[in-house]
Amino acid sequence: MKKSFIAILFLVALTACTKDFEAENQNPYQISDEMLKQDYNLVGSPFSGMMYNLFGGQIEEDLCQDSWMGYLNTPTDFVGNVNNTTYYIRWNSYWGRVYNSVMSPSRQVIRLAKENNLPLFATWAKMIRVLSISKLTAIHGPVIYTNYGSTANSILYDKESDLYNLLFAQLDSIQTDFAANKDYKGFVKFDPSYNGSIASWMKLVNSLRLRLAMRLSKVDPALAKTQGEKALNDAAGLITTNDGNFKIGLLGNKLYLSVICFEWNDTRMGAVMESFLGGLNDGRISKYFQPPTDITLYADHPNLPYKGIRNGSYNTTKPLHVNFSMVSNDFKTAQTVRSFTAAEISFLKAEAALRGWSWTGKTDAKTYYEEGVKLSFADWGAGGVDSYLADATSKPINYIDPVDSRNNFTASSTITVAWNESDNNELKLEKIMTQKWINNYTNSLESWCDFRRTGYPKIPHVAKNDSSPDWGVIPADGWIQRMPFVNAERTGNAAAVADATTKLGGKDEIGTRLYFAPNKPNF
Amino acid sequence: MRKITILLAFLLFAGLQGAFAQKTISGKVTNADDGLAMPGVPVVIKGTTMGTTTDINGAFTLKNVPSTATTLVVSFIGMTTQEIPIGNQTVFDVVMQSGVQALGDVVVTALGIQRDKKTLTYASQQVSAADIRIAGNTNFMDGLAGKASGLDIKMSSSGAGGSTKAVLRGNKSLVGLSEPLYVVDGIPFVNNKGGQPGSYGGTDGGDGLSALNNDDIESINVLKGANASILYGSQGANGVVVITTKKGKAGKVDVSINSVTTFEQVSGLPEFQFKYGAIGGSDYSWSKTPGNYQSSYIKDFFQTGINAINSFSISGGTSRTTAYFSYSNTSAKGVLPTNTYNKHNFSFNQSTKLFSDKVTVSSNVMFSNEVSKNRPGAGYYNNPLTGLYLFARERDFQSYKDNYQIFDKDRNLYKMNWYSTEEKMNNPYWEIYNDPKLNTRYRVVASLKVSWDIAKNLRFDVRGNIDYADKLNDYRYAAAGNSVSVSPNGKWDYSKYNDKAYYTDGILTYNTKVGNFTLNALAGVSYQENILNDGMSVTNGTNSLMYPNFFTFANIPFNVMFNQSIDRVIKEGLFGNIQLGWKEMLFLDLSGRNDWASTLALTGNESYFYPAVGLTALLSNMFTLPEVISFAKVRASSSQTANEVPFNRVNPWNSIGGAGTPLGIGGINRNTQVPFTNLKPETITSTEVGAEMRFFKGRAGFEFTYYSDVSKNQFLSLTAPSGSGYSTYFVNAGKITNKGFELTVDVTPVETSDFRWNSSVNLSQNKNKIVELIASNPDYQVGADDEGFASIIKAGGSFNDIWIYEFAKNEDGKIILDSKGVPTKAGKQTLQGNANPDYVLGWNNSLNYKNFFASFLVNGKFGGVAFSKTEAFLDSYGVSKRTGDIRDAGDTMPIDAIKGTTDVTEIDPAVYYSAVGDRNKIMEPYIFKRTNIRLAQFVIGYNIPCQKLGLPLKAASVSFVGRNLFFFYKDAPYDPEQSMSTSNSMQSNEVFSMPAIRSYGFNIKVNF
Repeated sequence: MKKSFIAILFLVALTACTKDFEAENQNPYQISDEMLKQDYNLVGSPFSGMMYNLFGGQIEEDLCQDSWMGYLNTPTDFVGNVNNTTYYIRWNSYWGRVYNSVMSPSRQVIRLAKENNLPLFATWAKMIRVLSISKLTAIHGPVIYTNYGSTANSILYDKESDLYNLLFAQLDSIQTDFAANKDYKGFVKFDPSYNGSIASWMKLVNSLRLRLAMRLSKVDPALAKTQGEKALNDAAGLITTNDGNFKIGLLGNKLYLSVICFEWNDTRMGAVMESFLGGLNDGRISKYFQPPTDITLYADHPNLPYKGIRNGSYNTTKPLHVNFSMVSNDFKTAQTVRSFTAAEISFLKAEAALRGWSWTGKTDAKTYYEEGVKLSFADWGAGGVDSYLADATSKPINYIDPVDSRNNFTASSTITVAWNESDNNELKLEKIMTQKWINNYTNSLESWCDFRRTGYPKIPHVAKNDSSPDWGVIPADGWIQRMPFVNAERTGNAAAVADATTKLGGKDEIGTRLYFAPNKPNF
Repeated sequence: MRKITILLAFLLFAGLQGAFAQKTISGKVTNADDGLAMPGVPVVIKGTTMGTTTDINGAFTLKNVPSTATTLVVSFIGMTTQEIPIGNQTVFDVVMQSGVQALGDVVVTALGIQRDKKTLTYASQQVSAADIRIAGNTNFMDGLAGKASGLDIKMSSSGAGGSTKAVLRGNKSLVGLSEPLYVVDGIPFVNNKGGQPGSYGGTDGGDGLSALNNDDIESINVLKGANASILYGSQGANGVVVITTKKGKAGKVDVSINSVTTFEQVSGLPEFQFKYGAIGGSDYSWSKTPGNYQSSYIKDFFQTGINAINSFSISGGTSRTTAYFSYSNTSAKGVLPTNTYNKHNFSFNQSTKLFSDKVTVSSNVMFSNEVSKNRPGAGYYNNPLTGLYLFARERDFQSYKDNYQIFDKDRNLYKMNWYSTEEKMNNPYWEIYNDPKLNTRYRVVASLKVSWDIAKNLRFDVRGNIDYADKLNDYRYAAAGNSVSVSPNGKWDYSKYNDKAYYTDGILTYNTKVGNFTLNALAGVSYQENILNDGMSVTNGTNSLMYPNFFTFANIPFNVMFNQSIDRVIKEGLFGNIQLGWKEMLFLDLSGRNDWASTLALTGNESYFYPAVGLTALLSNMFTLPEVISFAKVRASSSQTANEVPFNRVNPWNSIGGAGTPLGIGGINRNTQVPFTNLKPETITSTEVGAEMRFFKGRAGFEFTYYSDVSKNQFLSLTAPSGSGYSTYFVNAGKITNKGFELTVDVTPVETSDFRWNSSVNLSQNKNKIVELIASNPDYQVGADDEGFASIIKAGGSFNDIWIYEFAKNEDGKIILDSKGVPTKAGKQTLQGNANPDYVLGWNNSLNYKNFFASFLVNGKFGGVAFSKTEAFLDSYGVSKRTGDIRDAGDTMPIDAIKGTTDVTEIDPAVYYSAVGDRNKIMEPYIFKRTNIRLAQFVIGYNIPCQKLGLPLKAASVSFVGRNLFFFYKDAPYDPEQSMSTSNSMQSNEVFSMPAIRSYGFNIKVNF
């Protein structure tokens, strides 16, 4: 017995040490922070991913604002043709993209930049956050920003009026940091848009300030004017040339639009685009879309070889609409996606002029309007801009769906392209907004903001309205105003969502108007 | 290993314990079946550890037998144990009988330790390998269905080489598979399952079990609870399937040839209509006008499959050395054309005694090679069955079959010829001819064991094992196929990886007897390192290959990532077990184990201890029972098991992927998981009580076990709150209980010299309850809607609760129609039942009349629900028989519905079925009962009386075998035991998976 006892002791001694355990539990195919310190990848490398995630994919863009704004529509009868495009919310995932792929990594970048004494990377990360959150709040209204990263049980949302003030303040501080480091070269290796040019980022800061200021022009005209004029007068300038457009490099990824259209056959030209671009003889149509192979589809206007699908279309079965106009083949090789263009700045200036804002070097609305159209044509590579701007007769056309007449609509806009100084402000605004909308193709969220704020362009209602008390009812004469708060938050952060609903000032439904889009006259 | 050598050296010097001698007894052991001597049979003095084994001539000698010795125990696997009073007798002739009522048997338990079954404090059930093999299953687990109580087995519908899902006593882990540990000759056998199909498609990646040669299996012992398996550590928490392989026997050369050929046929296709086609080139066959259309192309698409398993083994040995060699070939062709499976198995084992027989060195090498081609998948994408079933009826299928590809002059290559651009519709012949899928597996398992009898009652065993598997999955999809799933130049899904498992243990066993007490004690250590899924994968998806139909790394476009994966864990264990017996009446079993797991590094919880205790009382030895009761035993045991967590969860690093840097693809995805440094192991507490009784001299008996398992500290991955700064976090939470019983009853109603009938019933029940998941969030659930079908784990429910969208109904139960008269779907999914059965039944009968033998097995599953999305699609496309019949019968169907405030009693079937069918719609009509009762196995055969006929053979038999021949009862339109996936969440779901299969064939067995 004694010997076996000793043997047992030996067995105990046999138990190897556990010091290798930590290394064993690391995945050798993952990269450590230590490794990433080389070339400053630790703070720089997350940027391309964060910027890529400023845009969503199929369910966040194509089946939401791309369709709601009439740019594109799906031929597919997703979920029995009852889905986001027909105002019944099936997908609500941009929120998760922002928090998981922008806010969370940028929080780490801000911390690591501080730890590694590279403060300008923190500034840059904050800029990406402002870009991202300014989009998210335009979708939901109140969002989590100030309290982001809190360990509290209930993480409260920011009220929109507070949030915009905070974003403006952050843009101030970002601009101050950038201005003090104009020659900084640290971003060059990591910047998929501006090749690390601080001057370009400073222009984007001003441009974003102008965009957000204009968003508030109805609800808080005084703040809008102050911030707008600040942006317009800042020495760093705005995005004024197409070279300076803020385009996000896809860096090897395909443009979602291309995948959805060409590979999945899940998106096609929007009927509203056919009505406007076709009716106004817009040269950009061939840069945006391509003619269908089946010529009978556009028998209603044989000289306009395009056919789009109505927003909120009745799609009985996919084969019915799948042969309608695809997007232009140019998108197959797109390397970037437009996020902020010089043309948009011109249209913002045109509206600012209408609204009586003043800034150094200001001319007039007509000049800015025409400059915007010209910049847009140049940017998209379209021809015939001069005759287009002179056209005072062509108007949007009515739409006929050759396979399902329930989708037909009569154009409600009667505008022409040519500027007429004697038009009233409302009509001028419609022209500006319509051109801004055409230019913003593939950057639909901004157009949805403008539409909710101004009511322009005059797009039809959805053909098929499946809104219900589940997510809120959109009346027959209304349009979708927002996305509901996400389910995970409704269940996991319920008290804060209740609080956010109070801050929203209406029910957590898709028909509740957001702060920046009050239901009142434009002027 | 160096330390073990030191230990060995130390133990070499340990002296032999002295013994007090009284007398010498000797004898010979023979087999009642053939009268031949039986070598290698253990002969022990009851109540002691004193014993020996018979030599090549079946002879044994025991010296120094104490005068206190009363009974001689002779036991051998598969034979009835003999207990012979010693008295004054010194020479014994022992005739061993084949043990059907194996209650007295020695069984192989944890770590390969042999124990007398009657002393066990927990439930186990031995199944003879012959029972499993006879019907020609390519996977031995399939053959176990119905033959051991409490075992719920589902086979993948992917055919030969496919995976299985076996669960003992219910699902215990939320994220793990709850499948038992497989142990071959005492060493854990890696069963690493490959990827499984989902709703969108995929192919069964197989599992590790198919690498075994069924003909190498001597016996299988199923240890049902965690109680049985504490010695394996956490891996045994879900029960253990202990497999003992065949070995050479001393003095007996045996050459065995076994050949099983079975034919497979589709036995249960969905019911179709072929009368009504589509209008205007639509994909949907909803025309109201009947036509005369092709109707046999679906059934003609499938072929008769053939499975041929031919195996050969040779074994033999001397009193010092035994050896066994086998080769087996499995060659199969599936019912799906182009699907083949080929497997080669080689096994060699030997055992040699050295140093005056004090040291036994044994080794074992197994090699297998499996090649599967075009293994059937399931789901929407790249599945030949979708296009085949949904084909618009008015079209000419023959032309699509003959011209499944057509030449595309624009591209100068062949493209798919199909009428629909739908994502799920492909030309079925294009799919099987132009989208080849290859799976290859190479596996080597090699082990070495040294046993050293230090003293008469002290033994030291040390073992080492290397298990290496090399796996390739190479799926190619031709250019110009379906644009949704395949790039214009083709798609390549390639993965190549290996599994490596190293295992070594050292165990010291000590047996003694002091007065009325017997002691069996062991202590051991084990070290295990598993490195699984170590390899790489790449798929170009819909990113176009640079050149069409060429599948190499060089042809991968720049924007596709090559991924590497690994899963690894080191586990070290220290364990001990004591079995204390008193007067052959009471046995107390105590175990304890401490594990150290690398996956818990940095948590402070990497070392954890868990105990087990059990007690057995042999009532028949304690009391004088009525003569009708020949044996009675009660037992109880309780154990705790702790389970390590998955690899790399505590503090992962960052990954490269997604949008890149300005230099190209591959940015840094920062790890946004909350570091989880207080992670704890999962625990399972398992308690069972049982009784075993035999009557009428053992002709009838039962074994009953009631168990109750509680799983806690489940490892759960949660989405972090949006505002928390992280994307995911992990918690230890939850409480799952599994309670139920296992009952085995066996009876031999007739036993004469010519005729014998044995009947046994295995019945079990399991009740699973999710008591709690996240206490602070009662709505938290694991699992989510998957295309209209949801398998949900949620507090208050059970594992695999099935949720489906029902019709929207008003308070009177009327279906609410929308303004266009279309049935509407309820806003939320409703619980339909649970995927798992309430009761699992197997009823096995074997009959012997002279040289004829027969057996039949009836398997039943009772309770549970099954879901068929295939039927939903067939309805919405108007191709199911239902939709044809209703059109025949006047094209209107009754409905109890309301539109606005108007009652509606009739509806157009096209409107109705378009609303309910397809994916993600109203799935209520497609829920069925899982309950099914089948003739699972039927065998009839003849033993050729070789001696009588003067044939130069030891034994030979021929038999006819059949499997899944027919159903006595089945509600679902498919076979719910053939699963499209053997993962957790797709249980009881069927999305264009292979139809039910019936097999029959013959078996020839010859022994020289």
